[in-house]
Amino acid sequence: MKELKKLLVLAIAMISMMSMTVCCVDPIPEPEPEPEPVVKDYNFDLFVCAVKHGGMSKNKNGTYVRSVPALTADQPRVEFTGKGIDITEDYTLESITRGKYYYQVPQRATGGFVKFHIERNAAGEERIVEDAEVPFKDNVYSARKYTHAWIGDSTSLVIVGTADKATKIIWSKLSESNLAVQSEGTFDIKLPEGFNAFSTAGLLTYRKSDKKLYYFYLTKREAGQSDAATSVTHIAVIDPATMKVESDTDVPSAVMEETAGSAYGELMQSMIMYDEADNMYVAGMITVNDQEMGILRRIPAGSKTFDSSWNGFPNPEGKLLTVQYLGNGKALSYSRDEALGTKIDSKSHFYSIINLANGSRERVKYNGADLQYCGGRFSQRSVVVNDKAYIGVGGEVEGEAEATYPTIYIYDCKTGAVEKGVELSKGFCFDIIRAMDVE
Amino acid sequence: MRFRRFWVLLISLAGCCTPLLGQDSLSVKGSLGDTLMLGHSTVTARSREQKLREGAFAVGALNIRLQASTLQSLTQAIDKTAGIRIREEGGVGSDFDLSINGMSGNSIRYFLDGMPLDAKGSGMTLANLPVNIIERVEIYKGVIPASFGSDALGGAVNIVTNRRTRNYLDFSYGIGSFHTHKADFSAQYTGRKTGLVIKPVISASYSKNDYIMRDVKVRNEERTAFVIKDLPRFHDDYLSLFGQLEAGVQDRSWADDFFVSVSVSKIDKDIQTGATQDHVIGMADRHTKSISASARYEKAGFLTEGLHLLASVSQTWDHSQTCDTTYRMYYWDGSYIDGGKSEIRGRGKTLRHYHRPMTVVRTSLDYRLAPGHELALNYLLNRAGNRQEDAWDKDFNPTDDVLFKHVLGLSYDQSLLSGRLNNTFFVKDYINHLKIGQDELSSITGSDQAKGSSTNNYLGGGLGSRFLFLEELAVKGSYEHSVRLPISRELLGNGSTIYANVALKPEISDNFNLGLFGTFDLGGGHAISYEANGFVRLVDNYIRATIYETEGMMQYVNEAAVHIKGVDGEIRYDWAGKLHVAVNASYDDNRDMRKYTQSGDLSVTYRNRTPNRPWAYANAEAAYTFRNVGLRDSRLRLSADYQYVHWFYLTWEAFGSASSKSKVPTQHITNASLLYSWHGGRYNVSLECTNLFNALAFDNYRLQKPGRAFFLKFRLFL
Repeated sequence: MKELKKLLVLAIAMISMMSMTVCCVDPIPEPEPEPEPVVKDYNFDLFVCAVKHGGMSKNKNGTYVRSVPALTADQPRVEFTGKGIDITEDYTLESITRGKYYYQVPQRATGGFVKFHIERNAAGEERIVEDAEVPFKDNVYSARKYTHAWIGDSTSLVIVGTADKATKIIWSKLSESNLAVQSEGTFDIKLPEGFNAFSTAGLLTYRKSDKKLYYFYLTKREAGQSDAATSVTHIAVIDPATMKVESDTDVPSAVMEETAGSAYGELMQSMIMYDEADNMYVAGMITVNDQEMGILRRIPAGSKTFDSSWNGFPNPEGKLLTVQYLGNGKALSYSRDEALGTKIDSKSHFYSIINLANGSRERVKYNGADLQYCGGRFSQRSVVVNDKAYIGVGGEVEGEAEATYPTIYIYDCKTGAVEKGVELSKGFCFDIIRAMDVE
Repeated sequence: MRFRRFWVLLISLAGCCTPLLGQDSLSVKGSLGDTLMLGHSTVTARSREQKLREGAFAVGALNIRLQASTLQSLTQAIDKTAGIRIREEGGVGSDFDLSINGMSGNSIRYFLDGMPLDAKGSGMTLANLPVNIIERVEIYKGVIPASFGSDALGGAVNIVTNRRTRNYLDFSYGIGSFHTHKADFSAQYTGRKTGLVIKPVISASYSKNDYIMRDVKVRNEERTAFVIKDLPRFHDDYLSLFGQLEAGVQDRSWADDFFVSVSVSKIDKDIQTGATQDHVIGMADRHTKSISASARYEKAGFLTEGLHLLASVSQTWDHSQTCDTTYRMYYWDGSYIDGGKSEIRGRGKTLRHYHRPMTVVRTSLDYRLAPGHELALNYLLNRAGNRQEDAWDKDFNPTDDVLFKHVLGLSYDQSLLSGRLNNTFFVKDYINHLKIGQDELSSITGSDQAKGSSTNNYLGGGLGSRFLFLEELAVKGSYEHSVRLPISRELLGNGSTIYANVALKPEISDNFNLGLFGTFDLGGGHAISYEANGFVRLVDNYIRATIYETEGMMQYVNEAAVHIKGVDGEIRYDWAGKLHVAVNASYDDNRDMRKYTQSGDLSVTYRNRTPNRPWAYANAEAAYTFRNVGLRDSRLRLSADYQYVHWFYLTWEAFGSASSKSKVPTQHITNASLLYSWHGGRYNVSLECTNLFNALAFDNYRLQKPGRAFFLKFRLFL
């Protein structure tokens, strides 16, 4: 009996110790909630043109801009009659932007670069404030006809253009803060025999993972517009520190005949994008059945050439005009259905979501219906910020006299949901949305 | 009774007073009537200008002969006329744009004695024609008589040269600010035995145009920033030479007038800016040479009594060259960067040659059916070639464009109720044949859409009527359905600052005029006259100039529909030929009436005021003439005038906040002049100050006009 008592005490003691031991073990940590995405405040600058779409200096009827704090449906309709800024004579629709600033060779040909921002006064009236204007140093650029990239921690801006009837490729490195020209030069790139001109500007981009500039340019038989089938695309890799060309590779025509644009850089339309792994995607063109069709190629991170086996835009309906990365392997494209018209104002342009994993794409829908076709070959009515893509759809309906209001649709990059946003006043050709930082 | 007396005097004086009175006996420009002092009697008759103004058409008429001693150029005088606005791009020899009742300059046709002015060469304009040879200028507003055989839409300017019957010699020399010199010589000699009339004309003008450009941006010394300065223009030299020899006979059995003439002209012009002054040019220039030969035959009673024939033919060989062979980007201080783009076009280097031969044939047959009833048949052929080649740019494919125009007009004029009612009816047929060879910059010029040949036919017509109720009140109205075929400058460009647009369509317009006019004779030499006109222009395919700011280039484009409504009016006061005061004002409302865009959308500019054109302007002038000051038979005339042009938007006025919009600012320009003539007008000295208060003035956006300038002119008339 005495033994039994001892065993019982021992058992109680052990149980007690075990329970004490258990009590002393750290509790299993709760899974940390994902950090709330930082939602930045933006002003949205909306550019419209009267009568015809702008871009490529095609519009002769005026360019107007409104700066609004939000694009949601609860905002008042964006009006341009008696409101906004008439930039027609001073500034180009095409511009470099960063933070709250615009950088460009202005419409007024004063012979230099300008930096400005748009601010609203207490009454909500917008105005342009110029922050810096500097003359060219030795290299001279024409408004619109250049390409750009930000390098380093975005304290320097590289501008690239062509000179001497597009037979030389020139570059200038500018300070972001005051636009001072830090250095200038001409790339050591020669025209191959039989070719007489480079593309007007080409496309320049900076890849962070290898800290290199990639310059996509064309060689043509003659200056001016070219037939994709007769031009050759090249990729020059450039050290941004020395601006030396480290490599210069021809792109086989089966891979890409031309980039989606080559005359005006990405001053208006976004043609190059990066994913989270720093894979680079470039919108381009190839000829299919004697028609220029869109193609989306990828330069994998760590590589300097296209992966010729990968095409993110198979079975195209027409030209691929802009691409923007949405996150999670998806991209927003703006392309054209050639069968519906090929003019700048043809209502044949539409938005799709591309799944980069398999190249499939689907038109952006609202309430189950495709967003309507729009005019505007040279338009960039979409911007991606705060995990949302703001997509502008022109109010035009071909052949119908009474147009609907141009409308913003808001695509949620995470959920894929689309909601209707603010409307713009009727009758204008809606060309650009830019998201600008708020101080 | 008073009415009848007036017309008796008018008829008796119309034919003779001008030669009778000689150079300066008529009252000043825009005078009420011409005042002839006969002892203690004052007889008032209508001048040719007054008669034109009182015809069925809406006409502005200027007596240039009376102003020739002070004028530098015709544009100066015309710009002060009601309903007329001249927009100049700069100083002497600069391009200009004339509008009549709101219709732009290229809707206006220019004639020299009824022949298209272009026939003297593409470089000859209102700005450089020698003023000494000009008798008067007739400005037809909206409705143009069929006798011109023209396809003008907004109006026509007919420059009538002197038809003096006696021998004379006229020489003048002027010197002015900005290194300006101008000399004109003209004469007439009639051989006593042969009757051969010889009329030589020589004219030369030169200016450096180095007036100060205010508040222009240039680089600082380190060339790292811009600073604002006032600097002179440095590449705007202009030289114009013109010579003409006319020979012929008059008053023969086979011809009332038969003259042949040969003229040569040469224009050298530096190009200082693009379409705005931000675009500075320092090397490019333009040279134009022309040779023209023409013949004119006129005979009343041709073949049969009552038939009047006027036939003219002219051939012009015109060669211009635009030199744009420098890759430089200039600043206003003359410094530059060796950039990689040509100055004018911002592209490759070009040395472009333009050969623009022109053939003009004009025939007019007038037949008097009965007293007060005339029938007229007119035909005008105008063939303009445009052959381009480039001596520098080997990639440029030479082109050869041809523009053929045939205009056939038939008109019937009647005078009823003893001349109180005048009517005119006319129809016109326009045939346009275009052959396009150029294909450069096809996306801009549209040559890819319009290449090849095309022929189009258009019909037009109209009527005019005037009824004289009283001396103090008369009414006139006119209407024309007119067609205006694009001119070569609009279709084919100018080779330097204007792109071609070969896809341009003709303007078609319905033009209406309704006017009142009259004269109040207050006695004692005081008289007041007035005229007021209302007008409507309903235009399709309105041709408007647009600017490519970046490249400093212009191009003409069609606006689908434009409606212009407006009024202009003038009041003139005259006292015994001594004091002359005139005020005029013009207003028009020019609206874009295109409701839908090409794709069927509602146009946002529908009913908007058409941008970049002045729509309200006014002029006032006063002059006083002293007689026998210092010397016997002398005249001292002091005059001043003021011009007001209301500001206007460069772009559509409705869009954007008012504070953000670009404007061409209001102009207040005051000019003053002094003329002293002696020996019956044989010797004349004048001093003129333009822009007396040195106002900063712009006719066009960012194209500054000259500041205060002086011009001293001596004229000898024997």
